[in-house]
Amino acid sequence: MTDTRRAGLMLIAPATLFILVGFLLPVGVLLSGAFRTDAGWSLGNFVEFFTTPLYLDVFFRTFRLGLTVTAVAAVLGYITAIAITETSPSWRGRLVALLVLPLMISPVARTYAWLVILGRTGFLNTALQTVGLTDEPLRILFTETAVFIGLIQLFFPLMVLPLLSSLENLPRDVIPAGRVLGASWFAIFWRVILPLTREGLVVGGTLTFVGSLTAYVTPAILGGSKVLMLETLLYQRVSVANDYASAGVIAVILIAMSIATNFLLKRIATTRRAAR
Amino acid sequence: MKLAGHLFLAAVMLFLIGPFVIICFAGLSAGESLAFPPEGLSLRWVIRVFEIESFRSSFALSLALGIGATLFALILGIPAAYALARYDVPGGEAIRNVLTAPIIVPGIIVGLALLRHLVIPSGLGVRLALFLAHSALLIPYAVRVVSASLENLRPDIEEAAILLGTSRIGAFLRVTLPNIRNGIMAAFIIGFITSFNEVPASLFLTGPGVATLPVDMLLYMEFNFDPSIAALSGLLALMSLTVVLVAERLLGLSHYV
Amino acid sequence: MSEPFLKLDDLTLAYGDSIAVDRLNFEMREGELVALLGPSGCGKTTTMRSIAGLMKARSGRILLDGRDITRVPANKRGIGLVFQSYALFPHLSVRENVAFGLRIAGTPADERDRRVASALSAVGLESFADRAPAALSGGQQQRVALARSIVMEPRLLLLDEPLSNLDARLRLGMRTELARLQRELGIAMLYVTHDQVEALALADRVIVMQGGAIEQIGTPEDIYERPASPFVAKFIGFENTFETEGDMLKGSAGPVPTGFAVPAGTRGLAWRPKSVPLGTGPHEGRIIGASYQGESVEYLLESPLGEVKAERPAAEPRHAPGTEVQFDLPLSGAVVLPNA
Repeated sequence: MTDTRRAGLMLIAPATLFILVGFLLPVGVLLSGAFRTDAGWSLGNFVEFFTTPLYLDVFFRTFRLGLTVTAVAAVLGYITAIAITETSPSWRGRLVALLVLPLMISPVARTYAWLVILGRTGFLNTALQTVGLTDEPLRILFTETAVFIGLIQLFFPLMVLPLLSSLENLPRDVIPAGRVLGASWFAIFWRVILPLTREGLVVGGTLTFVGSLTAYVTPAILGGSKVLMLETLLYQRVSVANDYASAGVIAVILIAMSIATNFLLKRIATTRRAAR
Repeated sequence: MKLAGHLFLAAVMLFLIGPFVIICFAGLSAGESLAFPPEGLSLRWVIRVFEIESFRSSFALSLALGIGATLFALILGIPAAYALARYDVPGGEAIRNVLTAPIIVPGIIVGLALLRHLVIPSGLGVRLALFLAHSALLIPYAVRVVSASLENLRPDIEEAAILLGTSRIGAFLRVTLPNIRNGIMAAFIIGFITSFNEVPASLFLTGPGVATLPVDMLLYMEFNFDPSIAALSGLLALMSLTVVLVAERLLGLSHYV
Repeated sequence: MSEPFLKLDDLTLAYGDSIAVDRLNFEMREGELVALLGPSGCGKTTTMRSIAGLMKARSGRILLDGRDITRVPANKRGIGLVFQSYALFPHLSVRENVAFGLRIAGTPADERDRRVASALSAVGLESFADRAPAALSGGQQQRVALARSIVMEPRLLLLDEPLSNLDARLRLGMRTELARLQRELGIAMLYVTHDQVEALALADRVIVMQGGAIEQIGTPEDIYERPASPFVAKFIGFENTFETEGDMLKGSAGPVPTGFAVPAGTRGLAWRPKSVPLGTGPHEGRIIGASYQGESVEYLLESPLGEVKAERPAAEPRHAPGTEVQFDLPLSGAVVLPNA
């Protein structure tokens, strides 16, 4: 027994040590730096961060975008996932492939496409002006709307795929059974589908929410310096001002959010399993 | 009801896929600046992409990084996944948490941490730091995908092989490895694509003439508004499409995502 | 046979702190077919795995042909094992599965082909050689596993629940086939099972295990007719087994007189259901269940002794559930379980 334990440890040690030393150690040192000022250990950096209006703006904007993106993606995601389950199996396969495909493509390329669409001389403005709906090009680029659109497109598949897999695990006849009992579509969704697909919603929601909070590429390209989010602010503070104190605070916020959300996800997933 | 569902799906797919079509056309523009519809079609900007020196070197770096970091993550990750699946490792749950930690830590923090606490104090090259960061980020994927294929394999086939005369390592190489080969290849492809597309962790890990391709693209578009990025984006989308389609054909990649 | 072929000498096996098998001793002769019989968790599979070398002994020795193999690694013992799940290699064809061990051993190609062919024909699978294991039925897969072991010409073959995954018809076929192979090849076989019918029908000798220790070793006749302990008696089908104290049976609700003089040195008495007459006798019980079996009727009675099972010919007068009935537990139909 002790022999197999030792063998197991020896196999697992390289990866574990590598992550501990090469990854968690530097990250830990960086995070601990947020709690230090010239005067030693203190929460001064946090006080400074949360009393600077610009930073507070960015902080709230990041959460606002994270929540709206997650909420809108969840609503559209349910409709999409339900619509996919009602197609034939071969179409289902194709649609899932179309959902997975964008995930494999560089986020820079994915986001850059919106620059082409939303820009002053982009697709949308050209179309609107040609049809005669507007005279002047609309300013969409470098607004929160543009970032919102980019984030939705980026994370939508991550919401739909878990929803789809939990919908496919539904007992086959619950929806027809509800219909036979005379329930409206809304009642079926609220009382049958939603409770039974909670796990998929939690997984998709976590991926979307954490992904939006920690997005860099989308706000960088579509928001620029006008619509900063926490990650773009962090990058700016470091590269423009060498402001490692604020960067450390942002890092602590981001990682705390990420861990908290993932922890919640794990708990919900395990209590569901235990309840079954 | 059915028609409404289909129309909705069509709209969603247009929203997801349409931008790629648009960017491909924008990249084929004959004009000077980015616009859609393009001012005439030409391969001008596609050719231009290959002439820009920094794209050539950042593409080479991203390619080498994607292959190197993924291989390294697999070399560390396969034994770890094997130990988690087959042995009663002391502190297994804690170790599992350590091994998945890189997924939870936002990439930009990794990049900044490695820059400040590794590259600057020790004078390590940026390339090595990139390699470290990408390897660490890929280990969770490697462990997860390989674990999934090990779980589908009965552990007693190794014992059977041992009783037929081979050693423990021989049993792994002759019996287990051939049966998880598809999982390992899927892990390689997923790892490579993840590394190749990675931005936040690589953002700070740049130096004079050293940047990964996506970071280089971000730097380039800060100062240029020509269609070359669109052309390059289109090329990258086609590259991913090809890799994914080939992998799906050969391995059924979607089982592992 | 002066020297035993396989000898376990005070073998003790443990998982961490929990002892699975405690100081086990038994011997096997060359070419013998022995069944290791017991309920799940009795330590039989653990014992078999340690003989194969897949599990380390905590203490004690395993001797094969007079040689101490306790510390010999599993891949050097030359013992074959047919796994309960068959453990075929999914990426290899039937032929390659069977050839696996010979390849490891570096057997020359022509000899290898010859031996693989003869092993496949021994189990009747010549025409399936190029199939993938997944394309075979359970019974065929098991025969591949068997061929893969016997091609190595082991002197001892271990089989883990060899019949449990097969349906009733295949079982009978496999049982005969195992017996034939054992006769033809003269391999000593030790097989683990929880099914007493299987053990009694196939083995030269049966070892009954319980709680990590041996309860009884004997020929099938010994076990079936002269169980040595209440556990063996119950396990082998004496469903009415009671311990005794003097002339009293220890019932669940207290001592009950036997109505006869119990022989000295008796630890317990056991009756099969068909040795329990109904309608007469010193004991009383209430019928709580009756099930018609064609030739006979099986009754379940509730009595001061606890539950008693009786099996009566269908021609006898029936007893309806709920009725009180007298029954007998006669000395003539009892098996006497001696003091240890």
